[in-house]
Amino acid sequence: MPEIVNSSRFGSIEVSDDAVIDFPAGLIGVGGSRFALIGRDEGDAFLWLQETELPELALPVTDPFPFFPDYEVLLADAEAERTGITDPADVGVLVVVRADADDPAAIGANLLAPILVAGGVGHQVMNEAGWAPLREPLFAGGRRPAVA
Amino acid sequence: MLSISRRVGERILIGDGIVVEVLEVSGGGVRLGITAPAAQRIYREELWERVKAENEAAAQGDFKAPKGRPDRG
Repeated sequence: MPEIVNSSRFGSIEVSDDAVIDFPAGLIGVGGSRFALIGRDEGDAFLWLQETELPELALPVTDPFPFFPDYEVLLADAEAERTGITDPADVGVLVVVRADADDPAAIGANLLAPILVAGGVGHQVMNEAGWAPLREPLFAGGRRPAVA
Repeated sequence: MLSISRRVGERILIGDGIVVEVLEVSGGGVRLGITAPAAQRIYREELWERVKAENEAAAQGDFKAPKGRPDRG
């Protein structure tokens, strides 16, 4: 059954059950426990994780692989155990994105702390892979993609 | 802050479930071994601080999604 989620950014929005993700440990440093993934149905490259009980808490995210085909997530043993993830094939990966404060067209993705989602449960993890920058530009030279 | 002196090989217990052991001391550095329940999150502070700041900036920022599809890769 769809539920209504209140958002400071988007107002009152209806989200379906399968768009809701539980985060037992919240997002690093900002908390939250249950987020709705918004924008998925429109096929947008950028989605939002909106906390279902905290209207002020929403973060833009994206699938990293269209931008970074070689991106890898490597978990320390303790982190893998914490997330309970055994088969990487079951896992969806999202990364938090944000615009540069001085140049809104320059968008960076947080490849250091990706969000792994499996079975309706999400964990933001520390990526131990060799290449995992905190803020990697999404578009070469800070350009936007050509308008479709 | 509680301050406790330990030698290499000695441990500290935090509650019933967390054990911190001094593995090695060299130069100005200390290598610690930590045993904790699986649900316990353990981070290097500076990494945690950087990710926290990035999450906060993302949550507070005025993000406008560019139109179109990724053109990279």
